[in-house]
Amino acid sequence: MTRLLEVIDLQTHFFTRDGVVKAVDGVSFTLDKGETLGVVGESGSGKSVTAMSIMRLIPDPPGKVVGGDIIFKGDSVLEMTAQQVRSLRGNRIAMIFQDPMTSLNPVYRVGEQIGESVRLHKNASKQEAFERAVELLDLVGIPHPRERARDYPHQFSGGMRQRAMIAMAIANQPKVLIADEPTTALDVTIQAQILDLMNELQDRTGTAIIMITHDLGVIADMADKVLVMYAGRPVEYGSAADVFYNPKHPYTWGLLDSLPRHDVAMKDTLNPIQGQPPSMIRVPEGCSFHPRCPYARVKCIKEEPVLRHTEAEHGSACHFAGDDGFVRGEATACREVS
Amino acid sequence: MALLKVENLVKHFPVEQGVILSRVGAHVKAVDGVSFEVDQGETLGLVGESGCGKSTTGRCIIRLIEPTSGPIEFEGRNVVAMGRRGLREFRREVQIIFQDPYASLNPRMTIGEIVSEPLGVNKMGTAAEQRKVVQDLLDVVGLNPEHINRYPHEFSGGQRQRIGIARALTLRPKLIVCDEPVSALDVSIQAQVVNLLQDLQDQFGLTYLFIAHDLSVIRHISDRIAVMYLGKIVEVGDYKGLYDAPHHPYTQSLLSAVPVPDPELQRKRERIILQGDVPSPINPPEGCRFHTRCPIAQPVCSQKEPELRDVAPGQKAACHFAKPFPIDLKVAVQKG
Repeated sequence: MTRLLEVIDLQTHFFTRDGVVKAVDGVSFTLDKGETLGVVGESGSGKSVTAMSIMRLIPDPPGKVVGGDIIFKGDSVLEMTAQQVRSLRGNRIAMIFQDPMTSLNPVYRVGEQIGESVRLHKNASKQEAFERAVELLDLVGIPHPRERARDYPHQFSGGMRQRAMIAMAIANQPKVLIADEPTTALDVTIQAQILDLMNELQDRTGTAIIMITHDLGVIADMADKVLVMYAGRPVEYGSAADVFYNPKHPYTWGLLDSLPRHDVAMKDTLNPIQGQPPSMIRVPEGCSFHPRCPYARVKCIKEEPVLRHTEAEHGSACHFAGDDGFVRGEATACREVS
Repeated sequence: MALLKVENLVKHFPVEQGVILSRVGAHVKAVDGVSFEVDQGETLGLVGESGCGKSTTGRCIIRLIEPTSGPIEFEGRNVVAMGRRGLREFRREVQIIFQDPYASLNPRMTIGEIVSEPLGVNKMGTAAEQRKVVQDLLDVVGLNPEHINRYPHEFSGGQRQRIGIARALTLRPKLIVCDEPVSALDVSIQAQVVNLLQDLQDQFGLTYLFIAHDLSVIRHISDRIAVMYLGKIVEVGDYKGLYDAPHHPYTQSLLSAVPVPDPELQRKRERIILQGDVPSPINPPEGCRFHTRCPIAQPVCSQKEPELRDVAPGQKAACHFAKPFPIDLKVAVQKG
């Protein structure tokens, strides 16, 4: 069966004056209709670059996809001509950006901006496009859509702008919707509204979603599958249940243990990951997480682990994942290196 | 006696209108009658969404912003009435940690200069003594004391926040206003800084006013928590009561809106999704300020402003119809 979207061993590198930044280094995942993939990781882990690579939006130079492939419905996105990419982007694959304050053009009316992609991809007239924009604004829950479509972005609040961004992204009923930190700039009550809206739209249209975020709560709310990234590499990949309830990688353990929870009865001391994320120009040899890993052994310094499957659909890029005696919370029994 | 006592604090910012002949047309009512006390050694959390006035409150307390009215008493002295000399003495005892570690450190000063500046301003100690104090402090906050001559750009976000903390500690203050100190940091670094702040509190007997929008962080670090909405405190109580049985509908919806990092639990939680946006603080709604978005609003709510009243031992809410909302999704600590 052809997958809707398949990313195979994607490598996107940036060639800078200071050296080569391997922003994305060997990411693979698949996505089917109606599915939501959550991509989680800290700043600089390569989440957004993965999304930009799928959209073919990597600025070249300095960036370049140097390896791997991206297959959308059987066709390689990387081999498409500029013309083909234009008809794909904003049409069958659409994107919602993080900052609703800067992603809208301040000098065009909101309705015109939403209608633009309809005119571009569906050859609609100005009037038809405007009608469609009104319809879309209504769909994303903006009151008085006909009047609001004539407003400029500065007349919208942050939450409404993000709704307008969503309206724009779903204008042509895309098969894949990439949402890059869509709620990070919003307050929690507005975040809840937006997540609710995205879930509802997905139920109605069957759009597959790639949800990029650093917030594990948002992932828990939305994702069917989860990809955890660290320093440009995938460290864990599996169903949401696998990753949250049966994580196999020490980095995932660390992330989950770093979070204060407001829903548990007792306050525990937080158990943060020690140290700092590595510089992307000098990623540590071997496993890139080894300097911060409380479980690191000699092998971790020498050999780079690959993502291997411990169960059917559940993979972890740790040499010792799934081994007997390699247990979360028993670090002292493991760490061999200083 | 409370270390800090704020009574009916008000801060209105004038809004100038017109381009050529500008005149003050309206006021942003950023803080509009806020009262609370902070006891010696405790952490009071101040939480709310953007624009609710939490940071303005924090800045008024150390008089980085002049409050419009309202006495602020620190150890019985009125901060609002202090002159230059009084203020300088006061600020030896009250310090602030800012949100953005990239904007709050002067890029042209070494971290040694940054951390020792409060000593210089107050003419305390010789150069050698100051250097010793700084090195000790860097060690305390988990930085290498040998890095005293480096500049802020040589440090990562988490390390810079540690520098900001060291600077706040230099004069051994009694109270530290922490204004979103971990919001700009990644999850793993955030936990490191939260732990550091807690360790320092134990070590130096500090009192914190901790301002944040993240409800999980605020619960973790605070003893008592005040929830703000549009310039007013809507609910205040100890962390346990407030999170187990929030009484104000705003607190309830705020808590239910925070996603929990547990897929099964998150998907079956009872949620209150608020409609619409926060109204403008220039023209806040009459009566209860929350009534335009409140799921249980009655006619009285748009007419009469509710007072903060006792709803449970140690817990107050400003709602005519306050009643507990048991968030029955508490789980015993489950990990692994």
